[in-house]
Amino acid sequence: MNQSGIDANEFAAPQSSGLPLKYLQRYGLAVLSVGVAVSVSLLVEHFHLRPAAGQFLLLAVAINAWYGERGPALLSVILAILGMDYFFIPPLHDFRVAPEDLPYFTTFISLAVLVCWFSTVRRRVEADLRQTRDKLKVEVEERSSLLDLTNDSISVRNMDFILTYWNRGAEEFYGWSRKEAVGKGSEELLRTIYPKPVEEIRAELLEKNQWEGELTRTKADGTQVVVSSRWSLRRDQQHRPVAILETSNDITGRKRWEEEIQGLNQELTKRSLALEASNKELEAFAYSISHDLRAPLRHMSGFAELLRKNAAASLNEKSQRYLTIILEAASRMGNLIDDLLAFSRISRAEAQKSIVDLGQVVQDVVAEVRQDAKERNIIWKIDPLPACYGDRSMLRLAFINLISNAVKFTRPRPQAEIEIGCTDQDRGDPVLFVRDNGVGFDMKYVNKLFGVFQRLHPQEAFEGTGIGLATVQRIVHRHGGRIWAKSTVDGGATFHFSLPKITKELSDR
Amino acid sequence: MNMLGRILLVEDDPKDVELTLTALEEYNLANEVVVATDGEQALDYLYYRGRYAQRDRENPAVLLLDLKLPKVDGFEILKQIKSDENLQLIPVVVLTSSREEKDMVASYKLGVNAYVVKPVDFHEFVNAIKELGAFWAVINEPPPGSIRKR
Repeated sequence: MNQSGIDANEFAAPQSSGLPLKYLQRYGLAVLSVGVAVSVSLLVEHFHLRPAAGQFLLLAVAINAWYGERGPALLSVILAILGMDYFFIPPLHDFRVAPEDLPYFTTFISLAVLVCWFSTVRRRVEADLRQTRDKLKVEVEERSSLLDLTNDSISVRNMDFILTYWNRGAEEFYGWSRKEAVGKGSEELLRTIYPKPVEEIRAELLEKNQWEGELTRTKADGTQVVVSSRWSLRRDQQHRPVAILETSNDITGRKRWEEEIQGLNQELTKRSLALEASNKELEAFAYSISHDLRAPLRHMSGFAELLRKNAAASLNEKSQRYLTIILEAASRMGNLIDDLLAFSRISRAEAQKSIVDLGQVVQDVVAEVRQDAKERNIIWKIDPLPACYGDRSMLRLAFINLISNAVKFTRPRPQAEIEIGCTDQDRGDPVLFVRDNGVGFDMKYVNKLFGVFQRLHPQEAFEGTGIGLATVQRIVHRHGGRIWAKSTVDGGATFHFSLPKITKELSDR
Repeated sequence: MNMLGRILLVEDDPKDVELTLTALEEYNLANEVVVATDGEQALDYLYYRGRYAQRDRENPAVLLLDLKLPKVDGFEILKQIKSDENLQLIPVVVLTSSREEKDMVASYKLGVNAYVVKPVDFHEFVNAIKELGAFWAVINEPPPGSIRKR
């Protein structure tokens, strides 16, 4: 096809160049060819060979009509007719035609005109064809250059999997040029690994006219890639499958991510299983403490008490005191166990979150704490508090600890002052505070404040297990908040903690 | 005065049994206490089996039940009692060391009549047992068919 295209261009060249020289040559050829035909015919007659003037002249016309344009062809026809009449039809050297030669002469004229006519028509048809073909060629090129614009790899193969088209995307991605790929079998070129037998894919393609899937292939440089591939079947007018159009794009990266994510997920599952197991263990541990550790304590306390009762008369003061110490120690250990269990429950229990009116919670807690501190002189200052999103019972426990601490550590004050309020400063989250004018603590121990069993005051001065603030901190952390404290020795203490604010979605619930 | 109901105490720890009985003695309730030291014994008592085969055909006025027991645990006993037509009216009080919420929830779901955590402090313990004994064995009107003594 390309071969004939080159010829067409060579034909077209003289046609398009309108040089006067060319015209002169063409008309000259017309005159010359007719002249040669006449001369040859005269020579033939001269040597008494079989007369063939008509054939020679027609040949000259045919040559002109074939190679020349309409003008030179017409000229050659006229010259040939005139030459025929003048030289070969009696009366010779005269343009008249004898009546008996009229049929022969008319036939000659008709033939000459016909030859000229056919050639002209042929030329026109040829020109039309050429034009159409050129147009088609441009169109095809345009289309395939459109396919070259995309980064997807597009290829066409016939039903024997021989590649017939290979776009720029495919060239760049697979590393095989169009020249290298077209005409090759797609299988040996790309070494495709199919997700299922290729026969099944073929069957599906024939049935549904399309197929989609992920393929593993090897590029020209030997690297393996994963592509997402879409196949469409092209059928001819008789509905026979003739070609497969494939569009594919690289998903190697995505695949790798997917695998990585899968790996991470597996790791996560493993870890959460481990966490679950250790939580279960912790729970079993706590359960066992709850059950088994308390019983011996109860026995210590119980039998020490019975001993005191039964032997009261025979025990001296010192022995009585020892018994008291045993009883107090048992009781204190009971409290420690209870507090420790409550503390571990904070971590184990699932938070039951809802919108909690902190004002209400604080009011309840203060009422409860006041009940236990009736004889104390305490000025309460309670600011309006916001609502927040959290676990009501946990938040209540946090306030119980903070407020009862405030009550406890203001005990030496003739007039205690306890303030509970809210500022709005931690990145929009409300910050609550409990402030007292109690004994305070030294800020250099502030990092010990929230540790389990950490106490900054002697047991004799202020009773307690040292778990309260650890519990508060854990509750605040479980709510995604922060807790911090400020104090000076003998100058009171302020505990701040932030809680998540109620967002619009939450308040819509 | 009041009729005295029989108490079935299901408790595996002899020290706890002794403390409980001591507490009940202070209220003169100890005489009417039957002690089962594991779940199987408790069920034997309730179903007149084994060494309890010849006992009076009457139910106890109250059952004080520990949860952690050898052989058959407290929950299992509770489940059997509450699903048995002849026993389900017996008031059952869980008397345990466990303050665990899941134990409380499980007990109440099985239909327990009261849940008491044994206090560590002896005075509190005595008070709790005394009140329990007084309430269930004396004040509370037990369902028909319970053992009572004038």
